[in-house]
Amino acid sequence: MASKGPTTSASTKNSSTGGTSGSSSSNGAGDNANQDNTFECNICLDTAKDAVISLCGHLFCWPCLHQWLETRPNRQVCPVCKAGISRDKVIPLYGRGSTGQQDPREKTPPRPQGQRPEPENRGGFQGFGFGDGGFQMSFGIGAFPFGIFATAFNINDGRPPPAVPGTPQYVDEQFLSRLFLFVALVIMFWLLIA
Amino acid sequence: MALMMSGDKGISAFPESDNLFKWIGTIDGATGTAYEELRYKLSLEFPSGYPYTAPTVRFLTPCYHPNVDTQGNICLDILKDKWSALYDVRTILLSIQSLLAEPNIESPLNTHAAELWKNQTAYKKYVRETYAKQAKSQET
Repeated sequence: MASKGPTTSASTKNSSTGGTSGSSSSNGAGDNANQDNTFECNICLDTAKDAVISLCGHLFCWPCLHQWLETRPNRQVCPVCKAGISRDKVIPLYGRGSTGQQDPREKTPPRPQGQRPEPENRGGFQGFGFGDGGFQMSFGIGAFPFGIFATAFNINDGRPPPAVPGTPQYVDEQFLSRLFLFVALVIMFWLLIA
Repeated sequence: MALMMSGDKGISAFPESDNLFKWIGTIDGATGTAYEELRYKLSLEFPSGYPYTAPTVRFLTPCYHPNVDTQGNICLDILKDKWSALYDVRTILLSIQSLLAEPNIESPLNTHAAELWKNQTAYKKYVRETYAKQAKSQET
């Protein structure tokens, strides 16, 4: 397989075609055709019907592009610039004249829908002054040494003294303490495996 | 395809007959290469799937070249897996014209030509000899 030289030269020739195509058609149909040229499908060279545009910016008829992608399912590239493209990543162009009707005999599936992102809210209320909309929240669990401080400096903050051993209250407190220890262990274990 | 009639230097092509799926093209060897001043005829056969599938392009004039076999078949990536729906007669012929000047020695169809390519003067001489030979045989 010969590859480097001819291919690169072919592609440069292609790009020059795109640039000069306006002038080459001027001897054909006149100035009107000249202008339409920009909106011609790259594959069928007709005015794009059910126009779609690839992310790399190249215009095609949807049926043309669909068939191109269909003929080579394992190598989906833009016919113009060979960038990777895919069926769902093309943008439909809805001109004023488009009817939106499709021939039911047509086998190509309908064009992918246009994406409608939420309009961006520029100006006005911008969070809480944490910079330009870069409001961040974090969720964390306190680290080990701080826990010690928290307990170490909370000496005698008005809590009742522990119950005397042997009373029912003492048994209850022991039980609760074990329960909380168990819960804490479960959470720690969950944190480890998560 | 109508682009063909415009004045690109060294290449031309026209439909063979009323059948628009068969074209005859000619390529002039680029100046400064071993093929300069030599004219080659090619046949281009377009399948019904064109432009989604590549046409079959063959040299009608025997061509001594590392990527062209004795039957005239051409090994060129854009005619095989690198084909794009954008290529037309003009770009194909231009690609083949530049293939003449820059063969791919790595995967030759004609190993003899690939060997000889290293010695450009001998290569040029051989190309001319084979070309003259076939021209003579066509006359008779």
